[in-house]
This record gives sequence, C-alpha cells and structure tokens, in this order.
Amino acid sequence: MDLKRVLLERFGYENFRPGQEEVIRHVLDNRDTIAILPTGMGKSLCYQLPGIIMEGSVLIISPLVSLMEDQAMRMRRNGEKQVIALTSFLPYIERQRIIGELQNYKFIFISPEMLTQESFGRQLKRLPISLVVVDEAHCISQWGFDFRPDYLRIGDFLKQSGNPPLLALTATADEKVLNDIQRYLGMENPIVQRHSLDRPNISYSIRQVNSAFEKTKWIKDRVTQTVGPGIIYASSRKRADELAIELQLEGVAVQSYHAGKEQDDRSIIQEQFLSGELEWICATNAFGMGVHKDDIRQVIHDHLPPTVAAYIQEVGRAGRDGRPAAATLLYMQTDEQTTSFIIQSDLPGEEEIRHYTKMVSEGNPPGEAAELASLTETGKRVIDYYRERYPLEEILLRLDRLSNEKNEELQQMTQLVKGGACIRQSALSYFGELCRRKPEECCSNCGLNDSGWLYEKESKKSAKERVSWDERITILLG
Amino acid sequence: MNLSSILLFVISKMDGQRTLNAGFHLLRGKKSGQTLTDVEYFNVKPFFGILPKLEDSTYAKAIDELMEAGLLIQDDKFVCLTQQGNKKVEELPEFHFRGWDYRGREMVFFSRIALLVQTLSYMSKGESSFTPIQRDRDTQLFVKRLLERQPYTDPGFSKRIGDELKMALLQSGMSDVQKYIFACRLTGRSETAKTWDQLAAELGEGTDVLRLLFIESLHRLLPIVEESDDFPFLTKSAFEIKVHSYLTDSALHTKKLFDRGHSMESIASIRNLKMSTIEDHVIEMAMNDKRFPVTHFVSEDQIRAVISKSAEMGTKRLKLLKKEFDTLSYFELRLILTARKDVE
Ligand SMILES: Nc1ncnc2c1ncn2[C@@H]1O[C@H](COP(=O)(O)OP(=O)(O)OP(=O)(O)O)[C@@H](O)[C@H]1O
Ligand SMILES: [Zn+2]
Repeated sequence: MDLKRVLLERFGYENFRPGQEEVIRHVLDNRDTIAILPTGMGKSLCYQLPGIIMEGSVLIISPLVSLMEDQAMRMRRNGEKQVIALTSFLPYIERQRIIGELQNYKFIFISPEMLTQESFGRQLKRLPISLVVVDEAHCISQWGFDFRPDYLRIGDFLKQSGNPPLLALTATADEKVLNDIQRYLGMENPIVQRHSLDRPNISYSIRQVNSAFEKTKWIKDRVTQTVGPGIIYASSRKRADELAIELQLEGVAVQSYHAGKEQDDRSIIQEQFLSGELEWICATNAFGMGVHKDDIRQVIHDHLPPTVAAYIQEVGRAGRDGRPAAATLLYMQTDEQTTSFIIQSDLPGEEEIRHYTKMVSEGNPPGEAAELASLTETGKRVIDYYRERYPLEEILLRLDRLSNEKNEELQQMTQLVKGGACIRQSALSYFGELCRRKPEECCSNCGLNDSGWLYEKESKKSAKERVSWDERITILLG
Repeated sequence: MNLSSILLFVISKMDGQRTLNAGFHLLRGKKSGQTLTDVEYFNVKPFFGILPKLEDSTYAKAIDELMEAGLLIQDDKFVCLTQQGNKKVEELPEFHFRGWDYRGREMVFFSRIALLVQTLSYMSKGESSFTPIQRDRDTQLFVKRLLERQPYTDPGFSKRIGDELKMALLQSGMSDVQKYIFACRLTGRSETAKTWDQLAAELGEGTDVLRLLFIESLHRLLPIVEESDDFPFLTKSAFEIKVHSYLTDSALHTKKLFDRGHSMESIASIRNLKMSTIEDHVIEMAMNDKRFPVTHFVSEDQIRAVISKSAEMGTKRLKLLKKEFDTLSYFELRLILTARKDVE
C-alpha cells in the first residue's frame, strides 16, 4: 500500500520520521507491536494513520487526562472530527451520552479507570475495534511518579474483549520494562520496534562539586553567561524556590515550578515559558509532561535523578528542534543519600501496610485508613490492587522487591555519573542499545570543547513597560 | 488590607466572647454548627469562607503580630481587643467582602472570565491553537457553551466583551490597584498573566495582601454583574456562582425529613447520625429561614426570658446563660439566640 500518499494527503507530511513507517506496517499486518520512540517524535501518527485505513474504531488508553484532552484537541484541529476523550471527569450525563453513541467515533481516548466501568464495558463489547493503543506503556511497570496501578487492569480487559491487535507506545524502555509491558498486557510474540534513543544534538556533562553552595554558584554563573531557554531540575520544592530566587537577584527571567504552587500560577508560568517571557524554569520532576517547547537549549540537574530512565527523559526535553543543546548534571557526594531517602519515603513500609490492611479488614473506610496509616495516594492504589490478588505476606514480599529494584536503579544512575565512561554510551547501553557514532560534542568524559553557541547570548530584552489595567484589556481583546 | 486587619475587625465583632479558633474557622468557612451560629450572632457573614485554604501557621502568625503590637489580648480562653486595638478598628478602611454569598466560588467566576478572554484573544486574531490557561474541565465546558453560536472569530465581538469588562470594573467601585491586579491575572495571545509572586515584586506588597484585594474585588464585581442588564456575558459567567441554598447538603437532607414531620430523634436514627449533628442542622435551618418554627422547640416565654437576660448581662456566652437557665439545654439556648432577631 502506498502509505506515503496517505501521509501526504491526510497529514500533509512529505516523509515519515524514522520508525513511523515500520510501526504502521506492523500494525496494519495485525501484529502486536511495542514501539519505542523518543518523545515528541510523532508517536501519535503511528495509530492515526492505520486508524484511517482500518475498519472499526481505535481505542487509545492514556494515563493523564490533560494529555489525552490535548491530543484529542490537536487531532480535531487537524481536521479529524471523529475524536472523543472519555474520562471520569466528564459530567455523568455527558459521559452516558457519549458512551451511548461510541460507534460514531473513530478515535476514542480513555483513561484506564474507565475500563472498570460497567456501562462502558458493555457498550465497548458491541463496538468493532480495529486497534487498542496503550500510550505511555511504561506506566504499567514503574513505581512512583509514573506507575499507574490502573494500567495493570488493561490486561484483564483485553482478555475479556477477545485480544484485539495491540500497539504499546513508550519513550523509554529498558529490558525489564519491556518484559513487564509484554507480560501484563498479555502480548504474544510482539514485534519490538525500537528507534534509537540517542539524541546526537545533545551533549552531556557531569561536574563534581563539593557543596550545595558550589552548585548554586555554578548555576548562577552558567545561567548569566550562557543561552536559554532552559530547565533546572531540583530535588525538592524548597530547593527549586531557592534557586529561582538566587537567579532572580541576578536579573534572570526565571520562576520556580512545582506541585506546591496553585494551579493557576502553574499554568501561567508554563505559558510564560512557552511564550519566551521566562527564560528559565527551576522545577521539580512535576514539570515537563505535555510541555511542547522545541527550542530548549539547556537542561541542568541540580540533583541526582532516581533512575537513568528518568534522567534521559528529562534531558530529552532539550533540543527537540534538532539544534545543539547541552545537558549538565551537578553532582556531590551526598546526592546519592538524598535521592535514596526520597525514594524510600515514597514507598510504603511494612508497618504502614500492615496497619492499613488491618484497618480496612476491620471495616474502616479505605480513604480514612490510608490517611491514618500515612500512605500516599499512589501507595494506597498499589496496595488496593495487590490486596485483591495476593495475601498480605505476598504483598510485603513484592514491595520489598520493589524497594530493592529501586535501589538497584539508583545504583545504575550513580554508576553513570561516577563511572567515568562515555555518558552517551553508558546511557544507551542501559536501554540495550549500542552507540554507533559519537557526535563531536559527545560528553564531558569524552572531552568537550567549550561550545561557542552556548555563549552567543543576545542582549537582554528591556523589561516590558507597565501598562494600565484598561490598556491591558484593550491589548487582549481589542 | 491584610489578614491582620481583617482579624482585628472580626475579633472586635466577636466582642471578647470567642476563642482564637473562631476567627480561623470563620475565614475558612467551616460548616459546623458553632461557626454557622457565630456568623449570625456576630454579624460577620461577609467574612465567611473568604480564605478557604488559610493555613493555621499563617493564621497564628497574624495573631502574633496583633498581640505583639499590643492590639489584642487573650484572657484565659477568649480574645479581645485592647483599647489601642479598638482605636485601630475605627481607622480601618471599609471592607467589601461578601463571603457568605460566594464562599470561594468567586474563583470559579474568575476562571471562566480568564478562559473566555484568552479564547477570544486568540480566536479574534484568527488563531485557534493555544494551551487553555484553565485546565479545569467544568470551566472549559462552560466557556465552550457560552461561546456556542457567538461570532467569536469576529474582532468586533471580542472588543465588545472587552468594553463590557472595562465598564463593569469601573462600576464595581474597586480601587485602581484592584483593577490592575484583575487585569494582570488575564492571559491572551499578546500578554501572559503574572503570577502572585511577580505581582508582589512589582507592587511591593505581600502575596496574601494581593490575594485578599483580588478576592474583595471579585466580591464587588459579582453583585454588579448579577443585578444589571448591561453586562450580558459577565452575567452569564456568573451563573450559579452565588450560593443559592445556604444550607449545607447534609442539613438540607435533615430539613427534608423535618418538613415531613419527623422528630429530631427519628431523623438521627434514620440518618444514623449523632444527635448533636442533627441539632447543628436545626440551628442552621433556623438561621436561614426567618419563619422557622422556633416554638416547636421552646416556648415564647422562654425565648423572651433568655433574650432579656442576655441583654441585661451583656453577653451571649452560652456557659453564663446556662447557669441562669438550668432547665434549658445548650441546644435550646443556641436556638433562641439564633432566632432572637425575629423576636426583637
Ligand atoms: N512524519 C512527520 N513529518 C513531520 N512532522 C511530523 C511527522 N509526524 C509527526 N509530526 C509532528 O511532530 C509533532 C509531535 O508529534 P506527536 O504529537 O505525535 O508527538 P508525540 O511523540 O506524541 O510527543 P509527546 O510524547 O510529547 O506527546 C507534531 O507537531 C506532529 O505534527
Ligand atoms: Zn561520550
């Protein structure tokens, strides 16, 4: 089939990006497929194009309501009208109406918890489904920030609906994660389509320092002397705030971003960053998902990320436009401990789990019990899921194993930082990939010349003039 | 305006008859019987729930400041103003909050306006692609419906909305700073809103002060647009913002049973709730309904006796009144004090 013609006629692109065509062909052959593509490289085309060709609807399971609404909106804007995003946030009546007329939609985005809703399940059974897509499929495997226990239910759902063809999409996947995806989704002999995770336009460097003070000093110098836009990742809200203030004192257009800020201010900060009013963001890992900004030139880590996967994902937000970008990680001896502590405090301990399960089995409402046992939101969801399947001792065992795995992952990250080997190679090998060609600007361990482009800083735009309230409304609305 | 000045005012209203906590619960809008009764007793409805997310540490700090400045003192349990404090209250500017009517929902109103303005700012310039500044699904649906079948790509239309907004801000009587803050919280194609931190740095005020000014400005704007025909789009944006049933959901449930003739005991057992909770509900009902049949529970004579004694002693403290009226329960006393307005 002439896929290129479809691509041009329906999407207006001349060529496929690397990996896209292969994935699309597998899907059209009705093979279960796992596609590993870097973020922002056009994953959604991998189901949109086959969806147009195949009979029946495409069901896309996505972890974040906001992401899936964005995606549905973008598709609608590009002329695809039969798109709907169905979430439990929709008002009940509206949801029922949509569920009643599902057959009118070609692309149906749902959040995983919808799968457990009976009325939806019933309606779905009557629907001819050509393809089920699991977006951000790594959420099925990881603990903590990304792990979605609801994802574990997808497998059950697929079995009940007669195993339709499956496409699992993810940006970062190492062998362990891949195995989990295969196992939990019950995929049989899937084709794994991997596109290189290497980003040749990003240079990696690691700097050893002796104190937090030295980190701050380095960041101050760096940010005032080199180009943005950039993101600085910090381990805590407090540190993100602190860095933002230090930089503001240097006259940098910067704000901190974390879950401790009210939602309106977070949206505003994101918008200012996109529009270029802010040059830098000091953030916790809460920042980044769903932010589409191509010209980020630098990512700086003020802390040690908990896994290589998280590190690569955060760094991968730089240089999406293909132009050179620099990633710098500042490291000091105590960072490992700090990160380890954060990881462990995210995991529910044995005592908390026992306390919680005991209270629930005594008939206390789960919400209250979780609070009393000081379980986190994610912790509760995970344990609830396990509780349906395993006895207490097994749950404890599993969580223990999880904790060990987390530690191992941190060890790998530490090794990457302290090992002294080529950072690019080490990171890629962690994902089972060989680095075929090193770019000139590879990493600090291979040796970096101080790149000229970093210092081509335009003179600062003069601060905006203050406009009065009614002028401002006029500017906005005419 | 700041938290301390509001507290000073509220505490002066409470007249040395309440503990420190009362002010905290009032500002956070706690829907418990005691707080709801206080609201009525002391005429502090405007401040009910104006700071739903107030932290206790912030509150404690404001109180400490007042104490250190010698404006407040605490005698064993209750707080009251010093002479200096009383003088200070006189000098306070007038507050224009309408907390009882809006209870934090003024922010929903503003979210709608913010999204409306952003949408029109892009659409009128022929751009249909932008990241909505409001993530909340309900707000998005609301604005979508609001703009259905409107000429939202027409620059003339967006200008009309802009003019409507300007006029309403002018008529609301808010101060210039308040208008400035309002405008600076709006985002569009060519301007992005400012965060509270940015506004604080620019205006040289703390973020809490700015937020209070902002809330007050919305409380001034809302009544204007609710009552006038001159602001069709703002009026629509204010749809269901004002609290229409002043009862809490739970109290409403109790009221239904009560209206069907159930006794309090019977309601408590049907709803499987504690008697004290049902008592709170009844107080709430009495507060919100001028024709509530108080005499169901206490006699006219008892009402008259309690009211005159309370006036004579110059107190509304239940403990003291209870000593005088041993046969009446706390609940009955509270009910009488709540309903006293009608008797007077
Ligand atoms: N073959 C192509 N040629 C040119 N542009 C493309 C092609 N495929 C996709 N794009 C563009 O690339 C951008 C990113 O695509 P998409 O939204 O699918 O990203 P994604 O991989 O899902 O990213 P994220 O993981 O961040 O959501 C879009 O603007 C899309 O229009
Ligand atoms: Zn290298």
